[in-house]
Amino acid sequence: MSMPLFARTLAWQRTRWIIVSLALFGWGILIPVFYTAFSDVIRDLANSGAFPEELLSFGSGSLFSLPGAVTLGTQHPLAIAMLAVFAVGATSTAIAGERQRGTLEVLLARPLSRTAVYVSISLGLLLVVAVVLVALIAGFVTGAALQGVLEDLPIEHLPMVFLNGFLLWGAFATFGLAASVSFDRAGPAIGLTLAYLLLNYFFEILGSLWREAEWTQEYSLFHHFNSTEILAGAVEPIDLLICGLAFVVPIVYALVVFPRRDLAAPA
Amino acid sequence: MTETASNGVISTRSLTKHYGSIPALNSLTLDVREGEIFGFLGPNGAGKSTMIRTLLGFLHPSAGFATVLGMDIVRKSVEIRRLTGYLPGGVALYDSMTGAQVLDYLARVQGRAAFRRDELVERLQMPQADLRRRVRDYSRGMRQKIGVIQALQHDPELAILDEPTEGLDPLMQQAFYGILADLRAEGRTIFFSSHILSEVERVCDRVGIIRHGNLMAVHEVRELLARRRRKVSIQWRGVAPDATTIPGLADVTVDGDRLFATLHGDVSEFVRAVASPSLRDLTIEPASLEEAFLEYYAEDAVAPTTDADGGADA
Repeated sequence: MSMPLFARTLAWQRTRWIIVSLALFGWGILIPVFYTAFSDVIRDLANSGAFPEELLSFGSGSLFSLPGAVTLGTQHPLAIAMLAVFAVGATSTAIAGERQRGTLEVLLARPLSRTAVYVSISLGLLLVVAVVLVALIAGFVTGAALQGVLEDLPIEHLPMVFLNGFLLWGAFATFGLAASVSFDRAGPAIGLTLAYLLLNYFFEILGSLWREAEWTQEYSLFHHFNSTEILAGAVEPIDLLICGLAFVVPIVYALVVFPRRDLAAPA
Repeated sequence: MTETASNGVISTRSLTKHYGSIPALNSLTLDVREGEIFGFLGPNGAGKSTMIRTLLGFLHPSAGFATVLGMDIVRKSVEIRRLTGYLPGGVALYDSMTGAQVLDYLARVQGRAAFRRDELVERLQMPQADLRRRVRDYSRGMRQKIGVIQALQHDPELAILDEPTEGLDPLMQQAFYGILADLRAEGRTIFFSSHILSEVERVCDRVGIIRHGNLMAVHEVRELLARRRRKVSIQWRGVAPDATTIPGLADVTVDGDRLFATLHGDVSEFVRAVASPSLRDLTIEPASLEEAFLEYYAEDAVAPTTDADGGADA
């Protein structure tokens, strides 16, 4: 672990970190607003039978309850895009980008093992992922308080929402870092990580919209982060286990592969 | 890999690196002595950078053994880099940082105080105002200066410099040569890769020539220059004498009163032989390392040298 490299990783992301945190905080505030504004309408629509209930939901989320709205808030494409800025963009370019630019040469000429480089950068980026998730959850709480529906949000379960969310987004982040140590250029690393994220997302959304394809959700990491259930106090240990495994396996891969790779001169 | 005794700041024994089936370094045996400036010469793709990257742990050797500062390059790579300064070829820096921030950051990661920075900044004429500018606004020469400073600012025991004068103007090249001379005077060792023969000739004590991953020869620069063939042109008053009586001449052509030839061996013996009242003009072209270099590269069939005579230092 190198403290200067860890600090630089945080500083490197500073502007984006602040902007995305503020954006997610704002998004989090809006979710309880949507809930209070539209939940009755949506419920009436569902009761009328005019629309199948699955079309009134999105992924595992819906506006039928505040916990459902929170889930919607974490699975909405806007939230996915903002969280992916770090979990996909920053992680997959962290090492491959340095390699592509040639700055990894200068860094690895210092007394740092590649393991130390990987660990320092990973910890920095995982901290950023944790902070933006906290900003999102803080937004939910703030929005619920502003709308006067805080009692609908079981705050005691929010730490578990954070943990499960961190394992989910951390899994994409560690996958991005594993891709980053595997390629000499940032493009393939970003592409692979983005494909992994989109495939997971596609399986989750496909299964939620089409009953015959519901089985695909089991293969999506997003399906293993269900805020509605967590906020109802029904934590599924298997969800934590699956997200935890998806978090850890890329770390093990990177720690094995990166120190053994030959780093030829950049083209 | 078999460990063998080493006696240089850099010692390699049959060091080999293959990229798949393509050989990049072929059983390279070399010793770089403490306190010398060693020039590592070869054209692009010869294996210079592969050698450097293997020494620094960027590449893993396929076979053979090497030590740097007495430490195994595979097991002690981090320790080696603690005591080494490295300037990569075509150095890349963090564009969003200022020059000063880059140097501060790299010194912190190095974990050694930047004892020499002020001196290097002054000698390479890098004003504080420039150090406060972002690297993205730097010219190529300024980037190279920062590259040199980051490699040497922590006063390393060994400096490994890959094409260090690339992008430096002639004035800065002179300043850089002065810095190298001072480092050598202080007992530091410099391993210097280049394809600019004139600078190797000027600053290096010894030179190794690499081709297609094979170490073709290692020589004292002085010795190499002394052994060089020189081009001579002699003009006499009247008819030229019989050239076969002049020692060391070859490839003789006579054009009227002028003789052109190649001179091998001792110049003083030759000068004594041609000195006569009928001598009108004598030109001896100075020995150039470039010609020595080209000679090695012209000899396609020459086998790589790995003994004390040419390849490794004894």
